[in-house]
Formats: sequence, structure tokens, C-alpha cells
Amino acid sequence: MLNALIVIFRESLEAMLVIGVLLAWIARQPEPATLKRGLWLGVAAGIALALALGFATFAAQSQLAGEALEKFQVGMVLFAAALIVQMVLWMHRHGRHMKRELEAQAGRAVGALGIGAVAALAVAREGAETVIFVYGLGLESGGGDRVALLAAGLAGFALAAATGWLVARGARFLSLRTLFAASEILLLVIASSLLTAGVDRMIGLDWLPPLLDPVWDSSALLDDGSTAGRLLADFAGYRARPSASLLLAAAAFWSFVVWRLGRAAKAAT
Amino acid sequence: MPARLAHLLFLGGLWLSLGWATEGRAQPASTEPLLFSIVIKDGRITPARLEVPAGRKIKLAIKNEGPGPSEFENLSLRVEKVLAPGASSFLVIHPLKPGTYRFIDEFHPATGEMLLIAQ
Repeated sequence: MLNALIVIFRESLEAMLVIGVLLAWIARQPEPATLKRGLWLGVAAGIALALALGFATFAAQSQLAGEALEKFQVGMVLFAAALIVQMVLWMHRHGRHMKRELEAQAGRAVGALGIGAVAALAVAREGAETVIFVYGLGLESGGGDRVALLAAGLAGFALAAATGWLVARGARFLSLRTLFAASEILLLVIASSLLTAGVDRMIGLDWLPPLLDPVWDSSALLDDGSTAGRLLADFAGYRARPSASLLLAAAAFWSFVVWRLGRAAKAAT
Repeated sequence: MPARLAHLLFLGGLWLSLGWATEGRAQPASTEPLLFSIVIKDGRITPARLEVPAGRKIKLAIKNEGPGPSEFENLSLRVEKVLAPGASSFLVIHPLKPGTYRFIDEFHPATGEMLLIAQ
């Protein structure tokens, strides 16, 4: 039961953090109301996608079907990472013209669609495992236990919501300017963690060589198996024992982002 | 576009230097991975102890015989594999340094454990 609470707490907190960062980022854009609607629609779509993915996992009995599912998940995280980067850069590039463009119906629709897609993928990623876990526990336990299980799950979700609320309250003490600037960086951090997850999966599928593995070992400093380390691993792509391929992907990602952001800033002035 | 070219050059240089720095220490990846079978049943992983040669690429074929789903996991090796009851899957583990690596069934943390010993 405690396990159910912990798993659901962790997965929903991670999804909420992503949604929170997206909300903070939306607030700085012109026409936030439309974008916000896109976000919530995306969250709903993400829950549906999580259910579909969860049940697809149950259906995928053979090694071949499992591999297909794995490939789909690799595609999903990499697509989400690319979408976030594209979104941040797009908003940057348009800068002041953005307001006019977002006021046009088409611009708004595109923006809302992008936000919705990112939210959907983030929720689906965290939610699919929860669906499998909860459904599986339901299979394993009898009638009375199921009620307790449901209660533990709801408690985990409530705890995550409370934690998320506290974080949001705490963030209010920061100035809006700082918050907005941070939201953009946090979005890019999330994108890099998605890329990291994708690279790790590709190494596990033997599509990518790890090259040197590990390059260093900082698990004595912060173990990515511990609670804090694990949250950082999922949210920011922290690895205590990174492979050279992973570092290379991260270096490529950040050099690309910094270069394009710099160019967008230059174009805006 | 000079900026794009500079970026490509930078990445190319990064790749080469990392490859050069790691070449001597990396393992030859040419040989076929060694295959080991793992069965998960009732939240228990069999074998509980698996000895593998260090420095060789290995492939784990995992089957979950149920009744519930399992998540075969080792965080330090970044292995996370969710298996529905009845499902089989595989995992490639790249050459390991000698040592003990603890795998768990995250959905059954009380019972599911396997020690992978690379020597």
C-alpha cells in the first residue's frame, strides 16, 4: 500500500511540476488565456494517452511488440524535447511581433497546439507507468485490498497536489520577473532531461554505443537512486554515472540552444 | 552561414575529442552479447544471483510470468523496463566494470531483487 502511495506521489508530482513550469511560462506570453486552454486540453489528452499506453503495455506480450512500444516511447520523449526547444525559440524569435501574431486566430491555434502537445506528452510519460502499476496491483489483490489501494493512490495524488501547491506558493515570493526568466530555463532543463531519457533508452536498445561508461561517478555526492537524486534525475536529467554518449548529447543540446537563443536575441534587438 | 558551420565544427571536434579520450578505455563492442535469461514470478526474480563476465556486452532476456506487472530496474545503470504479466523483453547491458549491481522489481520492492555480479 505504501508503495502505491509513493509511486503515485512521485509520478503525479513530476507531471505537476512540468505543468507548473508551463503555466509560469505561459503567463509571460501575450494572449495567455488561449494558451492555457491548450494546456489543459493537452493534460486531458495526456491522461487518455497514458491509459492507452498502459493498456498497450499489457497487450504487448511478445518481444517484438514490446520493442515496438519501446521505440514509440523513445520517439515520444525525443519529440517532446524537440517541441519544447522549438516553442521556446519560436517565442523568442518573434519577440515583439508575437503579440500581433498571437492575436491572429491562426497564431493562437498553433501556440495552443504546441503547448497542449508538450503537456500531453509529459503527462502521458508519467501517467503510463502509474496506470500499469495501479492496474497490476488491482489484479494481484483481492476485493478488500482494492479499496485500501484506491485510498493509498488517492492519498499519493493528494500529497503530490499539496506539495505542488506549496511550491507554487513559495514561488510567489520570488519576483515575477525572476519567475518568468526561470520558467524558460526550467522548460529547457525539462527538454534536456527528456533527451537524456531518450538516449538512455536507445543505449538499452543497443542503438547507440555508450562509448565510455561511466565517465565519472558522483553517486557518493548525490546518488540518483536516492529520493532527491531520483527527482533530479527525472526532472533535470541528472546522472550519477553518465556515459560519454549521454554527455555528448547533453553538450550538443545545450550548445545548440545557447547558440540559437543568442541569435534570436540578436535578431530581436 | 558561418555560425552554423562553427557550430558543426564545434560538435565534430567534441565528438572526436571525446572519442579519442575514451578510445583506450572503451571495450571492444564487436563481439556478440552473451545471453542470460531472467524470469520474474510472483514478484520474485530468478536467478537471485547472476554472475556475468565483466567487460563484456550482455543481453538479458526477461520474462514476467505474472500474475501482476513488474518493473525491472537498476537506477545506476539507467535500466527501467516495465513488463506486463506474460510479457517478455530484452535489455542490452554494455560492458560492466567488476562489481555488484542490484536490480529490483520496483512494483514489488519487498520481494523482487537480483544481484548481478560482474567479475
